Amino acid sequence: MTTWDHDQPILEIDRLSISFFTRLREIPAVMDFSAKVMPGEALGLVGESGCGKSTVALGVMQDLGTNGRIVSGSIKFKGRDLGGMTPDDLRAIRGREIAMIYQEPMASLNPALRIGRQLMEVPMIHEGVSKSEARARALEVVADVKLPDPERILRAYPHQLSGGQQQRIVIAMALMSKPSLLILDEPTTALDVTVEAAVVDLVKDLGKKYGTSMLFISHNLGLVLETCDRICVMYSGEAVERGSIADVFDKMRHPYTQALFRSIPLPGADKNAHPLVAIPGNFPLPHERPPGCNFGPRCDYFEAGRCDSGPVFMTPVPGDERHESRCLRFAEIDWDAPPAAAQRTARVEPGEVILKMNNLKKYYEVAANALFGGGEKRVVKANETLTFDAREGETLAIVGESGCGKSTLAKLLLGLETATEGEIRLGDTSIGATPIQERATQTVADVQMVFQNPFDTLNPSMTVGRQITRTLEVFKIGKDDSERRERMRALLDLVKLPREFAERMPRQLSGGQKQRVGIARAFAGGARIVVADEPVSALDVSVQAAVTDLLMEIQRKEKTTLLFISHDLSIVRYLSDRVMVMYLGHVVELGTTEQVFSPPYHPYTEALLSAVPIADTKVEKQHIVLEGDIPSAMNPPSGCPFQTRCHWKDRAGRSLCESEVPPVRVLADGHQVKCHLSDADLAAMEPVIKIAAE
Amino acid sequence: MDSLTWMGALAPFFGPAFGGVAATLGLALVVQFVAGLFAPHVRPQTGGDGMLRPRSDIFGRLDRLPGLIFTGLVLLGLAFAAISLVVGPETAGILGGMIQRFLPVWIALIATFGLSIRFKRQLGLYGKLFDSTIGMIGFGLVMFWVYTALFVGLFDLIGTHDPLDQVSGLKNAPPGVPVPEGETGFAHYLLGGDNLARDIFSRMVEGSVMVMMIAPLATLFAFMVGITLGLPAGYYGGKLDTVLSFLANLILAFPVILLFYLLVTPEIIATGLPSYMAMVLFIFPLVFLGVLIHARFRNQAGQSRAILALVLGPLVLLYLAVINQAGTPVDFWPLDFFDIPGGILVVFVAVVFVNSPTVFRIVRGLTLDIKTRDYVAAAQTRGERPWYIMLWEILPNARGPLIVDFCLRIGYTTILLGTLGFFGLGLPPESPDWGSTINEGRKLLLIYAHPALPPALALLSLVLGLNLLADGLREESLRD
Repeated sequence: MTTWDHDQPILEIDRLSISFFTRLREIPAVMDFSAKVMPGEALGLVGESGCGKSTVALGVMQDLGTNGRIVSGSIKFKGRDLGGMTPDDLRAIRGREIAMIYQEPMASLNPALRIGRQLMEVPMIHEGVSKSEARARALEVVADVKLPDPERILRAYPHQLSGGQQQRIVIAMALMSKPSLLILDEPTTALDVTVEAAVVDLVKDLGKKYGTSMLFISHNLGLVLETCDRICVMYSGEAVERGSIADVFDKMRHPYTQALFRSIPLPGADKNAHPLVAIPGNFPLPHERPPGCNFGPRCDYFEAGRCDSGPVFMTPVPGDERHESRCLRFAEIDWDAPPAAAQRTARVEPGEVILKMNNLKKYYEVAANALFGGGEKRVVKANETLTFDAREGETLAIVGESGCGKSTLAKLLLGLETATEGEIRLGDTSIGATPIQERATQTVADVQMVFQNPFDTLNPSMTVGRQITRTLEVFKIGKDDSERRERMRALLDLVKLPREFAERMPRQLSGGQKQRVGIARAFAGGARIVVADEPVSALDVSVQAAVTDLLMEIQRKEKTTLLFISHDLSIVRYLSDRVMVMYLGHVVELGTTEQVFSPPYHPYTEALLSAVPIADTKVEKQHIVLEGDIPSAMNPPSGCPFQTRCHWKDRAGRSLCESEVPPVRVLADGHQVKCHLSDADLAAMEPVIKIAAE
Repeated sequence: MDSLTWMGALAPFFGPAFGGVAATLGLALVVQFVAGLFAPHVRPQTGGDGMLRPRSDIFGRLDRLPGLIFTGLVLLGLAFAAISLVVGPETAGILGGMIQRFLPVWIALIATFGLSIRFKRQLGLYGKLFDSTIGMIGFGLVMFWVYTALFVGLFDLIGTHDPLDQVSGLKNAPPGVPVPEGETGFAHYLLGGDNLARDIFSRMVEGSVMVMMIAPLATLFAFMVGITLGLPAGYYGGKLDTVLSFLANLILAFPVILLFYLLVTPEIIATGLPSYMAMVLFIFPLVFLGVLIHARFRNQAGQSRAILALVLGPLVLLYLAVINQAGTPVDFWPLDFFDIPGGILVVFVAVVFVNSPTVFRIVRGLTLDIKTRDYVAAAQTRGERPWYIMLWEILPNARGPLIVDFCLRIGYTTILLGTLGFFGLGLPPESPDWGSTINEGRKLLLIYAHPALPPALALLSLVLGLNLLADGLREESLRD
């Protein structure tokens, strides 16, 4: 065995290429990929979906499945080549020296075993320790991942824990054997923002405490900034730039990295004055990669005859330590030049009030005993006394985490549910008590929705064109089929899709293209209000900007009111005129974007702002980590809904917060907050996000 | 004239050849298995073209050996078949004779496979089937019986004698026996005679017609019933779901055989119960099609009515003609231009009745899953009616599992038909269907095994083929 000492890299990947073999062809997933992780170092692997970042992780675990194979290159762990190991050797390393944490916590835990059994198994298998010792260690690790009451947790089954707690258990399991390398594959994507912030915090602390090296895979640049020392940006199977966080974030030397940063909404971006710059074109499919530079066809600095002539290799950036870029022209490009002046647009002044919600309530009755239907009935208060209005041409963002009641609000508005109490007025008509079957066709066409998941939003067995013409048929637009087909083509033009797409099946479209079809469908009947439920959160960063801009452009043209549901405050700040923050069915804060994003805040808004990772090294954030999980709407806390997690509670008077729901207070014109805090406390709040002076 | 032997004049060469190669294959498999226990682990290597390079050591060679021997066996079989086609039963014996009789089926099968493989990339899921060996074997077995049924039923090919003809002296005669002088037609009873001196081979191929007529159609009807009830149960949930699911469970819990006995009892038939059940069950395809068309064209009232009239008009006439039976309580329709034999109707009704609850449960489960998708929500937000959502948004996306289940269910139905025939339920006693023939052969099984075996093997191969086909379809629909 090769000797290995502690100043050599833990993990050294050298010119790795991995391919998958299908019936038709070989699909290269990773090409010429090199990386080094030193002891105690955290390397972030960033890229869009399909760029091969997860394949690298699976390659390190030597778990590529039946049709994936390492074609060339080597992966050395502590100086030993993983590719040359027998299954027995690998088994000894996996889980003991290299541990992996996956995206979906519930899929990583065995639902039939108690948490304790699963945790104790790790050292018992790998180190052969006794049962009692393993149990002691499990208790210690569970306490380390900051779970309350470790004894109870060890006796619990996975389904008895919340998503955040499950992910903590997965992390605990990975740490049970004190691995030298931890691979985290999008560990927080399935979690809510505030829970994500707490988990990320935990991972960072534990990395320091145990001295574990980390390979952190994510599509979120902000998260990588918060957790890692070094970063490697991947594009279409290749590493395009790698270096320290500071180098890559502030002195990027690859056009793709630059384009990526320009397409995410950082503080300061604004839909009118500083719009996002989307990356043109689409991500190339693995078997359709261009010759030469993979990013060439979408690059602003592309030079024909040079960038597309031959393979491009990683070249060190002079002056920086371990900073490399896969670009032929990085020395010639003026990296400080501002982006080509994007089109500025005038701010659209909101028109008259078009939608008015007054004291809206939605309660669900849930039978406590589902099997026999009898017994007491519980009431789930999904929406509590919502009062707000929206104007023509305005973007109202609704922000909140899962279970806050935003989807119920959308259902009420669309007529899929009817309100328990209160009123919804669309123009002059009251629609709160009218289910969708009884609404007039025009009312239905007026309120439409764009859905979150692009892979779910289109019927997979109907052509794209047919889905749009069907909508037109239902809305009674056009006299006959040919007229409707013409209108359908016009709608495809509107969302900037080629007209040939009408004949395609949804599976032939990329996520961004499907989302565009979804938008076309929503605007088919000339909608006056469009509810967009996280329309871009499932899309890749480079596509997000394009779809967002498209949505804004159509809104401007059609003067539509957009209700933008999201948990991503960066994008909310970028595109909304007013923001409504919801928590457990209550509107806790409502105001214009400037009012909500600057103090005084509602304590929940403050925590949300702090939790959102921002991919900018110049931003300083106040560090607020919320304890615990979001309470269940079945069993909400007494008094203020946020009191169980609020860290201002002592200031406002504990008993007051625990006993009474706070009143709505108007702080400034159009800015309202539901909180018991005194005016003085509110006034004393400091901004969460500060941009350091340059 | 002499009796035929199994391989006739070819036996001196092919007999030992088949035996020898088969024995070697068995031996090679045993050796490969034993050697596999001792083989050291080797990492798979890829070659320059990216394909997996085979192991080059002795163990690699051992791995490939059984495949080679099997190929040899197949080639030997093909050679035998080719010779038989030319020389016929006089030289190639019973096996050769049967191969020759099936000639139209072989031609049809080769044409089907050739065309399908040639165009498999343009044929969607059906084309993908030809990437899976299992699926191809299954499809081959199924199509063998489908073509047999077609040629027997439509052109009266393949069979050597009339399935009901008795030839004196051939009672329980062994396979290959010559037909006595003076009788017309084929010179031998290829698979011998049964205890009423009828040709077993002809009865076996004739039996396939029965199965092919009833099994797919009954399964289709069961699917119509299951889908029409399962979709609303899953989509609406609540009380409707509870009631329908309870009924389905009730039917599933009822002993099937007892149910059949009840349905075919003359007293019960006299009350008209089977006819009433037929009335109810056969209305479902009409309801299904009617709702399907209406939901699609709801917004173009004129077009909707035209298409509905065009499709439903003939179907309603057909429906009335089918359910209307002279001599039963359901006898009111003057235009009854054909009658289905009472026995077959009862079998049909019984099979549909016991199969539909299972289909109902599958459809209900799939609906529960698919109705949570965003495209269903999108349809709801544009104000689509529930039946449109069920039939045009949910049903097409549930087709994968349903197609697989359809194949499997034809297999179950085939077995069910066999069981019914075996108990002599419904069908007339002289009917050549496989279940009845097995039952007749069973009586003298210890003395004469040959009458019962051919129909049993035929039943086995068809159901096996359907199961393999379903496996292949499922596997291929899951792959990329």
